[in-house]
Amino acid sequence: MTDTTPDQMGGAPAAATDETKPFVEFADKSGGYFAETFLSIQKAKLPATHVNWMAAIAGFPWAALRANKMLFWIGFLIDLVAAVYLMQVWKFSRAAEQAVIDNKDFLVERFENWTTSSLWAAVIIFILGRVIFGWLADRLYFRQYNTWRVDHSKPSGWDMKRLVWATLIVAMIAPLMLYRASQFPPEERTCIKQARSIAAGEEVAFKDQFDCMIIGEFPTIVWLERRDTVTYPRDDNGDRFVRREAPREGLPPVNLNSYTAQLIDDGIGYLTAFYGFFFDGITTFLRSMLSAITAVFVGTPWIIAMGAIMAISYTMAGARITIFVAASLCYLALFGFWQTAMDTMSLVVAASIICIVFGLPLGIWVGKSKRGQAIITPILDIMQTIPSFVYLLPAVAFFSIGKPPGILATVIFAMPPMVRLTALGIRHVPENTKEAALAFGANPRQLLMKVELPQALPSIMAGVNQVVMMALSMVVVAALIGAGGMGFIVTEALANTRTGAGILAGIGIALLAMMIDRVVQKANTVKH
Amino acid sequence: MNDNREEGVVVTRNVWKIFGSRADEAMEAVRRDNLSKAEVLEQFGAVVGVKDVSISVGEGEIFCIMGLSGSGKSTLVRHINRLIEPTGGDILINGANVGQLNAEELRAMRADKIGMVFQNMALLPHRTVRDNVALSLELRNVDAYTRAQVADRVIELVSLQGYGDRLPSELSGGMQQRVGLARAMAADPDILLMDEPFSALDPLIRRVLQDEFLDLSKSMNKTTLFITHDLDEAIRMGNRIAIMKDGEIVQVGTPEDIVTKPADDYVADFVAGISKLKLLYAHTVMEPLEAYEQRKGPIPQAEAPVAEPDDDLDKLIALSVNQDHPVLIKSDGNVVGVVSKDAILHGVQGEA
Repeated sequence: MTDTTPDQMGGAPAAATDETKPFVEFADKSGGYFAETFLSIQKAKLPATHVNWMAAIAGFPWAALRANKMLFWIGFLIDLVAAVYLMQVWKFSRAAEQAVIDNKDFLVERFENWTTSSLWAAVIIFILGRVIFGWLADRLYFRQYNTWRVDHSKPSGWDMKRLVWATLIVAMIAPLMLYRASQFPPEERTCIKQARSIAAGEEVAFKDQFDCMIIGEFPTIVWLERRDTVTYPRDDNGDRFVRREAPREGLPPVNLNSYTAQLIDDGIGYLTAFYGFFFDGITTFLRSMLSAITAVFVGTPWIIAMGAIMAISYTMAGARITIFVAASLCYLALFGFWQTAMDTMSLVVAASIICIVFGLPLGIWVGKSKRGQAIITPILDIMQTIPSFVYLLPAVAFFSIGKPPGILATVIFAMPPMVRLTALGIRHVPENTKEAALAFGANPRQLLMKVELPQALPSIMAGVNQVVMMALSMVVVAALIGAGGMGFIVTEALANTRTGAGILAGIGIALLAMMIDRVVQKANTVKH
Repeated sequence: MNDNREEGVVVTRNVWKIFGSRADEAMEAVRRDNLSKAEVLEQFGAVVGVKDVSISVGEGEIFCIMGLSGSGKSTLVRHINRLIEPTGGDILINGANVGQLNAEELRAMRADKIGMVFQNMALLPHRTVRDNVALSLELRNVDAYTRAQVADRVIELVSLQGYGDRLPSELSGGMQQRVGLARAMAADPDILLMDEPFSALDPLIRRVLQDEFLDLSKSMNKTTLFITHDLDEAIRMGNRIAIMKDGEIVQVGTPEDIVTKPADDYVADFVAGISKLKLLYAHTVMEPLEAYEQRKGPIPQAEAPVAEPDDDLDKLIALSVNQDHPVLIKSDGNVVGVVSKDAILHGVQGEA
């Protein structure tokens, strides 16, 4: 076949052989060209440089006529981006003229630079984009052919009516995009002022109003009256009471964000003022638990602690890992991190214990009960999606700063894997062993203790490993709220740009994590 | 209650199991309108697992329930220790209605009276053989010393002495199933439920275990419900066989009944491939001496081979080989019949 009739140029479809008949039927116009192209795609003989030049020149309308949505959006996006850069050329050259008038030389130079680079960008994107479009055209069109073969109701051929749709889409998107590119967006403050003057009944030019509504920040729709300022002072008996003060007259209303933020603040303030004993109780508990653990880690002389850690790692994980542990401990000791590292370890251990004590029963519940799963799974999902920094805020709000809130934030961050992996382990206990235990007269407690938990143990231990790892990473972050330890060195280094100190501490933390991880993991695999 | 005792150790009365969220409605409709399986599925979206099964198993009997997969045999046997609750009907064990036991009584019955063996062994992988065997005792809070004593005795019974401290994963499939059997027998239950215990084993091991189980069962006199999908196995093991199809019992009878008088084409199809050598006896295939002599002339009685009425085909064939005369069947010295070679050949084909 030597028929190289380009697309769109029309011409009668070439004489269809059996092989090419479906291609011709699908492509309709320029059937011969597509028959040849598709055939070479099927034979894997299409040259890598093959470009449909007609499609490249015609751009996205070609895709619209061929009803290929994917190609349409690619082509439209290329042209739109190029056009936006062209509009910017216009915007910046006008700004440059204005700067000349204003006699601001530095601005003139900047705007002229921007004008040139925008122009280049527009040209390069347009030309390169169209070539890519042409390169993609036949390949994507072949995919469309494949779906059409399976389902003949899918669009095929060539239809002018599709241009109407394409025009509608372009008309909806392009003008606003181009207008936005040609304008400098108004500042938020200008728009707030404008809203107030409209409220005061002044005339504002339509263009300014339009700019504030459409380009720039999403317009502020909800305006709310300010809330009363609430404080919780003590009366003469030393008991707290609620005092409300109306906002000063004449202050402007606030937006939804400020209003809600104050609402939350008031709620937290109320809780801490009237239920402080509850939070203090938790703090006291955490502090005493931590001090007991710290006494072990920090209170033990380094030579005994080191020996103990190595002995534990040897019995749990063998000689090779103990060599690594010894090297890591040496690093920590030589660079003067010993006490700090042990401090961090106590935090990790305290948080991990709490995670395990609460996570295990919760995990069992989730694993065994449909309702438990329905309630807890979404909560766990949220807990794992929220960035770790965000946990610090409520911890500080309720428990002020220091180690106890650090532990709490760590617990919330590190608990999900414990619950998930316990539940997973419980759920994966084979039905037949459970059935056998029931057939021999097991009651629910015996079923759990003698059949389900032992078989879920590998999964539970994986959960414990995860908990320890995540606790370590969060304890470092918790240094931001005064939890101390290795994280404190890093955050301080960050604040004072003491890069060297920060990197050394960072390596120390990594070694700490690797030590725990290797030992726990190895201990798990040795057992099973 | 005493009447029940006479019926059998394990009795099911019109047991139905219908699976699905509208099982009870479906049950009522079935009782009222006598719906078919397909109609129940169509109207209630419920599946009939067991359909109106009434069996009675006597003390010390090995009762085989045979059927293809999906015929409801495993479902039926799980009703007996109430791992599955029946939708309708009663299950009686030693005359006591299992459905009326409370949770604690039920657990006591499962632990003390009923042992169960599973097709996939279902041993606890984290426990040693000894601890697996002693499971039912442990669940009844028997002290560790007694447990170990009992377990070791039962382990010896299934010829696994010396393996008590191994983990199940260190044992071969056949040995694992011996552990399963030992576990079922540890509490010395009256009743054994065997759910395709030997199906997952290779044929040689299966045969060995079948023989061992038969020996054990003879000496221990346990009432056994034995599930299998293999008719050969059912015939080897069972005192009686129940054939199940689509949740229903098609035929109950001794192996010989099943082979010689299949109740319908379904059973006949199964039986067709079965070797009759050990199932047919001289008294079934023989004809009266007079009838034979009328056709073929007199038999020289001194030269003809002689057999007993309850000798099986296998023996008759052995006697007939290299022999011109038919086999004389004598009982207490008197000739009661004759078996010709033709009769033996018909017998091999199953046309008694």
